[in-house]
Amino acid sequence: MPQYSLYDEEFHPSPWQRTWASFKASHIAMLGLIMLAFFVVCALFAPIITPYDAVEQNIDGLLIPPSWLANGSISHLFGTDALGRDLFTRIIYGCRITLGTAFITVVLAMLVGVSLGTFAGMLRGVRSSIANHLLDALMAIPTLLIAIIIVAILGTGLVNSMWAITLALIPQFVHHTRSFVRAEMKKDYIVASKLDGASKWQLFVHSILPNMTEMLVVQGTLALSIAVIDISALGFLNLGAQSPLPELGVILADGLDVAYLAPWNVAVPGMAIFFMVLSINIVGDGLRSALKKRVSY
Amino acid sequence: MIQILVRYCTLFVLTLLVLAIMSFSLAYLFPGDTLENLTGLVPQNEMQRAALEQQFKLDQPYIFQFFYYAGNLLIGDWGYSFTSGLPLREEVGIAMPATIELATYAMLMALFVGIPLGYYAGIRSYSTSDHLINTASITTYSFPVFWFALLLILIFSLQLDAAPLSGRISLLYNIEPISGFILIDILLSDIENKTLAFKDALSHLALPTFSIGAIATASMIRITRRSVIDVKHRPYIAAAISRGLSSWQIFFRHILRNALLPILPLMAIQITTLITNAMIVETLFSWPGIGNWLIQAIYQRDYPALRIGMMAVSTVVITLTILVDLFNRMIDPSREKYERATV
Amino acid sequence: MPMLDIKNLTLEIQSSDGTIKALDKVNLSVSSGEIRALVGESGSGKSLIVSAICGALPSQWNLTADRMSWNGENLLSMSVQQRREVMRREIAVVFQNPQASLDPSATLGEQLEESIPDEFVEGSWFWQRAQHRKKTAISTVHKVGIKHHKHYLSAFPHQIPADIGQKFMIAMALVSQPKLLIADDPTRGMEPTTKTQILKLFTRLNQTRSLSILFVSHDLLAIASMSHSMTVLYAGQTVESGRMKHIKKRPLHPYTKALLDSAPSFRKDLPPKSLLPTLGGSIPTLQHLPIGCRLGPRCPRAQRACVQTPAVRKIHDHYYSCHFPLHMEKL
Repeated sequence: MPQYSLYDEEFHPSPWQRTWASFKASHIAMLGLIMLAFFVVCALFAPIITPYDAVEQNIDGLLIPPSWLANGSISHLFGTDALGRDLFTRIIYGCRITLGTAFITVVLAMLVGVSLGTFAGMLRGVRSSIANHLLDALMAIPTLLIAIIIVAILGTGLVNSMWAITLALIPQFVHHTRSFVRAEMKKDYIVASKLDGASKWQLFVHSILPNMTEMLVVQGTLALSIAVIDISALGFLNLGAQSPLPELGVILADGLDVAYLAPWNVAVPGMAIFFMVLSINIVGDGLRSALKKRVSY
Repeated sequence: MIQILVRYCTLFVLTLLVLAIMSFSLAYLFPGDTLENLTGLVPQNEMQRAALEQQFKLDQPYIFQFFYYAGNLLIGDWGYSFTSGLPLREEVGIAMPATIELATYAMLMALFVGIPLGYYAGIRSYSTSDHLINTASITTYSFPVFWFALLLILIFSLQLDAAPLSGRISLLYNIEPISGFILIDILLSDIENKTLAFKDALSHLALPTFSIGAIATASMIRITRRSVIDVKHRPYIAAAISRGLSSWQIFFRHILRNALLPILPLMAIQITTLITNAMIVETLFSWPGIGNWLIQAIYQRDYPALRIGMMAVSTVVITLTILVDLFNRMIDPSREKYERATV
Repeated sequence: MPMLDIKNLTLEIQSSDGTIKALDKVNLSVSSGEIRALVGESGSGKSLIVSAICGALPSQWNLTADRMSWNGENLLSMSVQQRREVMRREIAVVFQNPQASLDPSATLGEQLEESIPDEFVEGSWFWQRAQHRKKTAISTVHKVGIKHHKHYLSAFPHQIPADIGQKFMIAMALVSQPKLLIADDPTRGMEPTTKTQILKLFTRLNQTRSLSILFVSHDLLAIASMSHSMTVLYAGQTVESGRMKHIKKRPLHPYTKALLDSAPSFRKDLPPKSLLPTLGGSIPTLQHLPIGCRLGPRCPRAQRACVQTPAVRKIHDHYYSCHFPLHMEKL
């Protein structure tokens, strides 16, 4: 027996490093990540990037076409809207509001959903069956309906639409957390820590949560894309954010009145939402297949 | 089996009860005076108020009020709309089928286009055609439905003038609603130029159905593809290969069914998304469906309508969801409790 | 003339750390009517060999061999159709995990009837054929020792115990009347009694039908008594192969010796309460295979020459690959 270990140089990358490595290997996923990073930068540094004020009206410059059209001007990159507001500025602020609120919504829904889901998953017997089935059934209520009810009770507004979307997203997190916790509770390592005398809280924090983060990240990206679409949809239907606020759906709805005269007022905000959702979906897909690859080896 | 049926029935009744409680409590949650919200009338004096309160049982304890409300729901006395003054049951009875019709056609599109394409992409996974299908589906899936519908309107209605802009059918035709589904109603009706009316209704249906259906199809493709790829790597497929079965046998006997099983519960979630999208698209196409109706109701602050509309939509969605769940439970032999695939 | 003859089978897997030779010049042959044991620790590539023979390896893995023939026909150059025909009629495989290798959504009966080749089904009308299929299925199930065919044929895979599942896999393998049965660790994780039953079943099949069996296992004890010849695998290399009794009596390769020594029942002279001899260290991971003889770092007899891969040498029909074999001084 040799006195030295021959296999010392063995390097075991951590699960996250491996996920990242296989995520990086996919060019499309990286492209999505870059796109998403671009949106995030826009959202974070909106005041620095934008040349104008988002709500400042300019009577002299109504409906200026975007700069790539013949009669457009470079001073307004995406042109202006019916009130002479610079569309580029509004879009950048719109990314900030839409993406930001969507993110907050998802985080809130995740916090509530995970705690509820963990409770439901650790419950046993009749109580759990009732709680689970009821949750499953309530999950079926459409987002728009919840939003309509909340708007009816609290009135319109961005914050109220956030509540509605949070409520609508929670059941998904509850569902996934619950089935994950249930599956995990049956595994041997949980039994082992139970035998070590771990309380339910300790089990959750030290054993289940670390294994759940990946599932949560994937679910979170999915929920984020849904939240972006829903927030802008509510803004578009005039049930969410209200008009002067530069929210992408609201900008789109504003542009609808002048869609004939100035089609860019509809095209640009729509594109912004579309690319935002697309980049989130691509990143989510990439993450998911990276995780899957890691698990299958 | 009976046990499962009983369980689902209990679940259904319980959920409806929760919904009824929620919609009942809405009357107290809506801003403003409860009595005015319920009746739409502003009482002139205390006498009138007391009389109205007695009529609507508002003077009684909450629990009796609730039973009164639930009883009315059951016998079909759903109250009257503020704005039109018509019985709500009639209005919902017209608007609801219109939405369901739209959603049904979109669902059919998703099933008959999405599932086969998903299977094809899954079987040929990581080939060029798979990449094409996958890219197309993730792109379509990322479209916000309202913008997609707008683009369709801009292109097909305004530029090409190929499809009508709004409504369910041209005003020339007067179709008696029997089933509530316009296509079926035309077939059942006895007007002279049936085929023309049918074509007209189809052209009205085309854009809204396509805008919802495309997105539903895209997510169906993604779900199916993932499920097929998952099944393809199971050991029993390797075992089947090593038994020398042909690839057709393997596909039809082993992949088809096993890939379909985790898709089915997801259909339940699809229904919710579909109805939401249908409700959004209705407002764009002025489709006389429940979504349009509800949004009009909220603009008008028509509280009884909102209350009933909420109850009606969620009842429909939950019934469908539970039915899909039950169906899935019945045909899936292998698992006591099934896992759901992910979207 | 061996039925299955494999020479210098090499399997290369592309991974993030470059190309890995998961199998390195493996030699294996199974003659007609014999039970050949393929022994190696877990991770030594036994199951990969089985998959390579079945043709169930992922296509991105690179499989090469100097010879891989079935009854004189080259398996590697065959068309997909021919290959499938061979697998359908002549070679059958029993996998290690019956529960996972059965389709969860079909009944056992359906799956068994599906593997009956069409040529064996009599009758010209479909109902006659269906009936005959059913009859064949029932008789095959009886042959492998399942009595309650009614109950089990209509059961789903998750409803049956593991040993019934494994017997079923054997039934599915036998129904096409193959010439070679490959059993990939069929008794893994089973209780001793059911294990014995399954092993007896294999022995009986070998004796009554002169079925050749390639028995893949890490459990030396279980198969030492039943198999005629043995091939020992270490980390993807064939170490030694030959008649069972020769190897048992006089192993030439240090690894084989260590393997035999680690099983107390092969050692009559072992004093009570003494330590069992083992090799130091553990099996190298696939990412860090040593060059040359892969046993090198753990081998008690290793010398400088061991960094070269030893060539296959033979004494009669006893093959070994070692630079410094044991017991040579007596020869």
